[in-house]
Amino acid sequence: MKKTLIIVIDLIIMMLILFFIIQYANTKMNESNESVAEAFEKMTVTAEQIITNYLEDEQHLCDIWANYINRMAEAGEPMTMEEAISFVRKAKLYPTIYGHLILTDDSSKSGISTHPNAKDPDDYSVSYRNINLFDRIDEISREDGVVSLTRAYTNPQNGVQSIAFMNFVTILDESTGELKEALLMRVEPVSLLEDKFVFLKGEYENEEISLINKDGDYLVHGKSLKNSNFFEFYKSYNNANIADYENMIEEVTSKTGTMTLTNSKGEECVISYTPLTSMDTWFLLSYIPAEELKATNSVVDWLLLGMVTLGLMVLLGFNYLVLRLYNIKLAEAAEAANQANAAKSHFLSTMSHDIRTPMNAILGLNEMILRNSREEEIIAYSESIRTAGKTLLGIINDILDFSKIEAGKMDIICVDYYFASMLNDLVNMVQGKAQEKGLLFNLDIDRNIPMILHGDEIRIKQIITNILSNAVKYTKEGSITFRVGFEKIEEEPDSIRLIVSVSDTGIGIKPENMNSLFTAFERIDESRNRNIEGTGLGMSIAQNFLAMMGSRIEVESEYGKGSTFSFELVQGVKDFSPIGNYEEAFKNGILNREKYRESFTAPGARILVVDDTPVNLTVFANLLKRTKVQIDSANSGDEAILLWKRRIYDIVFLDHMMPDKDGIETLKEMKGIEDTPNGEVPVICLTANAISGMRKTYIDAGFDDYITKPIDPDNLEALLLKYLPKDKINVAEPDSEDDDFFIPEFIWGIGSLDADRGITYCGGRENYMLTLKSYLDAAENNANEIEKYSDAGDIKNLTIKIHALKSTSRMIGAAKLGEFAARLEDLGKAGDMEKVKEGLNELLFMYRKLISDLEPLYQYDEKTDETKDGKPLIADEDIKKAYEELAGFCDSFDYDSVIDTLKKLEKYKFPEAETARFEALKEAVDNFDYDKIPEILHRKDG
Amino acid sequence: MKTKGILKNTLVSVSVISLVSALAACGGISKGDDAEFKPGLPSDTTCQIKVAGNYSNFESLESEFERFYEYYPNVTLNYVYLDDYENTISSALSSDEAPDIYVTGSWMLDEEKMKPVFENAEILSDPALNINLDCVRKGARWTLDNGDVVMLPIFTRSYGMLVNMDIFEKNSLKVPENYKELVETCDKLKAAGYENPIMGANVTTVAGMYYAFSFPLFCANVIEHPESVSALNSMDKSAGEMMRPALEKIKTFVDEGYMNPALCSEEIEDDYNAVILRFFEGDVPMMLGSGDMVSGTQKRESKSEAFIADPFKYKFYVVPSGDDGGYFLDSVNLFFSVNKNSSNLDMTNEFIRFLMREKELGNMSAVKRLITPTNDFSLDEVYSSLDDFPEDRSFNNREIGLNDDVNNEFRAAAYKVANGILTVDEAVSEYGNLWDD
Repeated sequence: MKKTLIIVIDLIIMMLILFFIIQYANTKMNESNESVAEAFEKMTVTAEQIITNYLEDEQHLCDIWANYINRMAEAGEPMTMEEAISFVRKAKLYPTIYGHLILTDDSSKSGISTHPNAKDPDDYSVSYRNINLFDRIDEISREDGVVSLTRAYTNPQNGVQSIAFMNFVTILDESTGELKEALLMRVEPVSLLEDKFVFLKGEYENEEISLINKDGDYLVHGKSLKNSNFFEFYKSYNNANIADYENMIEEVTSKTGTMTLTNSKGEECVISYTPLTSMDTWFLLSYIPAEELKATNSVVDWLLLGMVTLGLMVLLGFNYLVLRLYNIKLAEAAEAANQANAAKSHFLSTMSHDIRTPMNAILGLNEMILRNSREEEIIAYSESIRTAGKTLLGIINDILDFSKIEAGKMDIICVDYYFASMLNDLVNMVQGKAQEKGLLFNLDIDRNIPMILHGDEIRIKQIITNILSNAVKYTKEGSITFRVGFEKIEEEPDSIRLIVSVSDTGIGIKPENMNSLFTAFERIDESRNRNIEGTGLGMSIAQNFLAMMGSRIEVESEYGKGSTFSFELVQGVKDFSPIGNYEEAFKNGILNREKYRESFTAPGARILVVDDTPVNLTVFANLLKRTKVQIDSANSGDEAILLWKRRIYDIVFLDHMMPDKDGIETLKEMKGIEDTPNGEVPVICLTANAISGMRKTYIDAGFDDYITKPIDPDNLEALLLKYLPKDKINVAEPDSEDDDFFIPEFIWGIGSLDADRGITYCGGRENYMLTLKSYLDAAENNANEIEKYSDAGDIKNLTIKIHALKSTSRMIGAAKLGEFAARLEDLGKAGDMEKVKEGLNELLFMYRKLISDLEPLYQYDEKTDETKDGKPLIADEDIKKAYEELAGFCDSFDYDSVIDTLKKLEKYKFPEAETARFEALKEAVDNFDYDKIPEILHRKDG
Repeated sequence: MKTKGILKNTLVSVSVISLVSALAACGGISKGDDAEFKPGLPSDTTCQIKVAGNYSNFESLESEFERFYEYYPNVTLNYVYLDDYENTISSALSSDEAPDIYVTGSWMLDEEKMKPVFENAEILSDPALNINLDCVRKGARWTLDNGDVVMLPIFTRSYGMLVNMDIFEKNSLKVPENYKELVETCDKLKAAGYENPIMGANVTTVAGMYYAFSFPLFCANVIEHPESVSALNSMDKSAGEMMRPALEKIKTFVDEGYMNPALCSEEIEDDYNAVILRFFEGDVPMMLGSGDMVSGTQKRESKSEAFIADPFKYKFYVVPSGDDGGYFLDSVNLFFSVNKNSSNLDMTNEFIRFLMREKELGNMSAVKRLITPTNDFSLDEVYSSLDDFPEDRSFNNREIGLNDDVNNEFRAAAYKVANGILTVDEAVSEYGNLWDD
């Protein structure tokens, strides 16, 4: 996971935690806000009760005055205004509280006061004429205990904002002697009331208490409530529509509640309101900035929240650091792992090279042995070497493939391929082996399979080879059936689904072993199958390849009876023409192959081979000897470059791994040279690196192609056919009867002899061999006679002898000798004995050299003589040794070796006493009845 | 008829020299006066300041309180409305709860009973107070004869007309600048289908249409004939001739159908609310009225359905009743005085110092939509026509020297002539007996 991703996830988690905390806090806050608002409202109600009590108390005091005055009137001793106000003056406690007695029937609303006018100490009169205070005089209660309160107004006597508690009194009009009604007012400065409010604030520092009347006019005016009217204030600073406005008025003047509004500064504020109990004309408003209310809300521990956030940040930072530290370590570990992997790759590459290089020598030289040797025994050994070598190469390839798969570097490279050709290779590979084991190899190939498919031919071949090889390996008797069918895919008209299955009548697989079938390095039923070679990688590799191609191997098996391995694979189709009868195609293919293998020489072509290992150069040269291609060799890059500049080549084979200057460096230097006749010449890489993907490396490096070591002669010849100029390739005559006649390899190697030409002159291989033999038989005698005629000065006979030599030499393809002889013959015919004698020594030298080169023909001849009557008789000693080997192989359950040994023994003729035993051994092997072998070997008689 | 003795004794018109110097000073500082207020007291000073006045509602002042709190957050400023202000302010000033700042008016200077009000007033021209009096324009200044300043103008008003700028723009008309253009404009408007180019309240008040239309013209005539002031003030019948030019123009406008008193009475019930709402109907090119009418427009825009549906641009202009243009009658609406016995005099003076700046006075006027006492009319576009108004056509009542009775007589004459109750000649000849209580 990338570092950034982890940090992002960390941050998201952090954010989620914080989000949760904040949401939770908000919820709690909201709940708490509600309860805080409720508490504030309760406080308002409490304040209202206190204020009401206060007002009622003040009203009560006013009522006491009024009652006294009224009782006096009721008692028949009504007080005059002066007496009444004098009484009030005495009764009141505070100097700031005024008593006003106003005559209600007086339009000027005037009367007398307990206090003199501020402007005139002798003037006790008071007038409310200019103060609009008694509009609703009728609504003033005459009952005791009911608060009758004015709005806040300016006391006309002292200019102080005041409120007045009122009650009606009956007084005596001195002038008329009649009783009159007057309004008694207990006038108090509003500040007195406001002072009481200070004690109501409680815990709220910025709380402001206001009292308003029904019209919104203030009795007590809080500082923050601008405007002289609360309702106007609301309207001014809150964008309320008429409905909201009226609703607000209705709410405030009818019930207890709380509302949030905006003050003159645009700040949120909370106002709790409640009507003053027992007075439906006054309403208490408690104002508080919403911020303060929130501040009193301590539900959310912001410190805790802050610390949690900080903690999370620290944790994130710490995580990041730790992550970085681990990343550094991981990077180091990854680097180390990469280095190890690189080392592994290097090791594999080196191993591949190092094993393949000696293997090249082994198999190459072995190939030479196979070609040159006429001894059956040697050839048999050599065949074994080839088989074992190929097996070893297969194992190395498997390991390389598996490593590649593990490293994820195995690529599926799709190419167009001839399906029949792939089948050829598969059948070629397996059919022989199956036949060797006496197994019936059945083919069931759908003849409508498209001719050219698109897919990774090499991997598919590898998969099927693995399955087929396993089938052969684990089947003792019976048959192997290779089926290939196909079906069309509707959704993909350009593709088909190949259905491949291989059924055998082999040992089968136990159900419990099914699971380990495709596990690398695991071989099922190991104890039973240990004699069967393999790494246990084959099926695993096959399964991996199929997985890469979107398929898998299915297995059906019955232990002891056989198995069927099958898979389906989608392949693109390039040509829907059916492959037709495959067997026929196969045979045609073989015929074609044989043709080209045996028909091509290119004596006019010249190639350069570069390899730092001399034996590789030898192997290479020998492999191509039959083609007559002229080969120059170089054992270093520099040497190759020198030749590249000097001579014209048709192909250059360049080894990749060389000391000092490797193949790629050499190629670059070569391509950089302008002054060379080889500008467009194809350069083919020789490499022991068989790791997949190398082809691309070499092509990218500028090579035209590559061939792996050990060099497969077929592949090499195919490359030559591909890259040599067509005009330099000689196609031999159509098949002759003796095309199969054996011509020893050394004949092809004699420089002064052009065997191809000789075969042509002699009209076939067998004739050629007979001619050669007669040439050789007569040679020594002929040479002696030439010397003899020369010494005798018999120019005529000498000339005849030289003529014969010319003809026979030309006949066998010894053109140079023939030409030389022709010149001497001409001199002889001209009677120039002296000049003839001068050239004769050289002629005889060349002649004897050729004879010497041809002498191995005698040995060959002897060998063939020996086997003429069938097989060589095996020595008793060899029989004993072979039997001991067989017993050992049986003890180690190495049945392959048993088979091999028996095959070798088949090439010999057995003494009669041992014939029966040998036949019994063969039968046991054919029947996979290996247990019987030790018993047969221990029998006293055959 | 109030005596002019006090006025004469305590106040003299600003001398020409002081006028010139003040003008220079004002001109010099008017544009540069917006320097940031620099508090002179510790910002954590805690005290309460009370402002008393006769406005039941004083939002524009409250907005200044808020601005002042930015410098002195612990100061509490309160505005208190006093009932029967005229009678209670002097008592209030001597009470325990005396205001620190209180509203005064020019009329108070003439009233004997108001004497205590000014006895309690602090001399604000004391250089030690560092109050910038120079930002007040010439016509709005009130100075005692000894040069002391005890009243600071806060709002002023004038008389003129609201012009529906959209109608003028739509008809490609420019606002007339003299009487001739006014007549031509009225003709064009009538031709364009505006049957009543000029409307207003058909009443005798100062907010009525005739006062705004012709009183400044009458004043200009009086200023040209200063010898007539005495005769006019003493209700000398012969002085009635001074009204003739103004009355004749009224008569002309009525006769020409530019003004229709009967229709105005029918459609405009009062001289304030109804005038404004009728103007907002959007079909009156010119609506005559006082500065109070302009002040009332702000809150009534949202109350006029017609204006909400089809708002238009409008501005205040003086009526171009003279041959060279209109006359700007500068009238201070409201003054502030400071209680010299204030227990928080320093902070009170600090507030006054804060307030007496073009910016704050302009803000207050803009909130109230009255005319600022300074020369900077930029804060309210409605009054932008007053910017750079010619000095020779600006005057105030104090300069003219006419008493309220003359004012009443003229308003009665104008009303009666306009409504056909009297001819111009009759009105002129009946000077002194025109006003009916």
